Amino acid sequence: MTDKVLIVDDEQDFLTIISDRLTARDMNVSTASSAKDAIKKIETESFDAVVLDLMMPEMDGLETLKIMKEKNPDLQVILLTGHATVEKGIEAMKLGAMDLIEKPADLTTIVERIKRAKAEKIILVEKKSEKRIRDILTRKGW
Amino acid sequence: MSNIIDPLGEAGLAFYSKVSASISHEIKNSLAVLNESAGYLEDVTLMAKKGMKVDMERLQSLAGTMLKQVQRSNFIVNNMNRLAHSLDDPASQVDLNVLLELMINLSERTTVTRGFKVSVAFFDTALTITTHPFFLKNLIWLILDFAMNITDDAKKIELLPAKLESGAKISFTGLGKLTESTFKDFLSEPVLRILSLLNCTLQPDDGKGIITLNLPEKITQPSQ
Repeated sequence: MTDKVLIVDDEQDFLTIISDRLTARDMNVSTASSAKDAIKKIETESFDAVVLDLMMPEMDGLETLKIMKEKNPDLQVILLTGHATVEKGIEAMKLGAMDLIEKPADLTTIVERIKRAKAEKIILVEKKSEKRIRDILTRKGW
Repeated sequence: MSNIIDPLGEAGLAFYSKVSASISHEIKNSLAVLNESAGYLEDVTLMAKKGMKVDMERLQSLAGTMLKQVQRSNFIVNNMNRLAHSLDDPASQVDLNVLLELMINLSERTTVTRGFKVSVAFFDTALTITTHPFFLKNLIWLILDFAMNITDDAKKIELLPAKLESGAKISFTGLGKLTESTFKDFLSEPVLRILSLLNCTLQPDDGKGIITLNLPEKITQPSQ
């Protein structure tokens, strides 16, 4: 099954090239050049991972991450940043980011993190399903 | 710590640090595009070795992207270099049109990230004054930072440089929420020290939402 990923960055050239390279690696890639656009996309589509730039005009990555997590707590978000300060990194993790990668990043690293994000998502979905089944079994008393 | 650091020096360092951080972020973005472009070329080479057809138009477009990013980085580094050299001489001739253009470029990432549009209506001819270039830039940065907290909802700030009989002025417009009280708060010790160093005055007009910086043709006490 292909990995479905959303890349969010205000650098259009970056979006185009990374999108081509990830697509060539059998990934299903969507892009958004603004936080607002990205939030709209996660409301209507399901992604295995979101790769989100930390510094964007109008709404920064941390604010975007917060909104995304409120809308979908299971969403796996990898933050991409030009400069990661320790404080920002801690804040990002507290807000539920899965990882933080510094730009320019090696594509192998990005791909590996996306795969890990997908695995995390599968575990979360399985746990939820298991809980739902247990609830049903308890309620029905079978 | 604050007792041993001179407020003027602290303001200057804070300004320089913020610009450096913003510029290095921009360069990192540019490097990220170049990094991905090099990676793309590597991908294409591997695919070509396996006998797959190479999309020549895509390669041409990629070369254009890389060239654009090199020019962008060069522009950013040139601006940083110009700022760095503004400390070379405590008093030198500057053209306010040129200085404001540099300031718009240096502050662009910060202003755009905060959702603001800052522009300059350049004066028709050169507006030359003799001043301390670094501290004038520092002061403009501080005014812009303050201005972003008091603009009206349009979030647009326009800088209007103009000639005066005794020098020149720069008006910062679009400051719909400017009040006497907010202006007073802005006049911190570093701001007052820079105003004094540059022999200039700052004049608020809260009715029109404008702050005007009046600059002398030549500063009289270039170093402190």
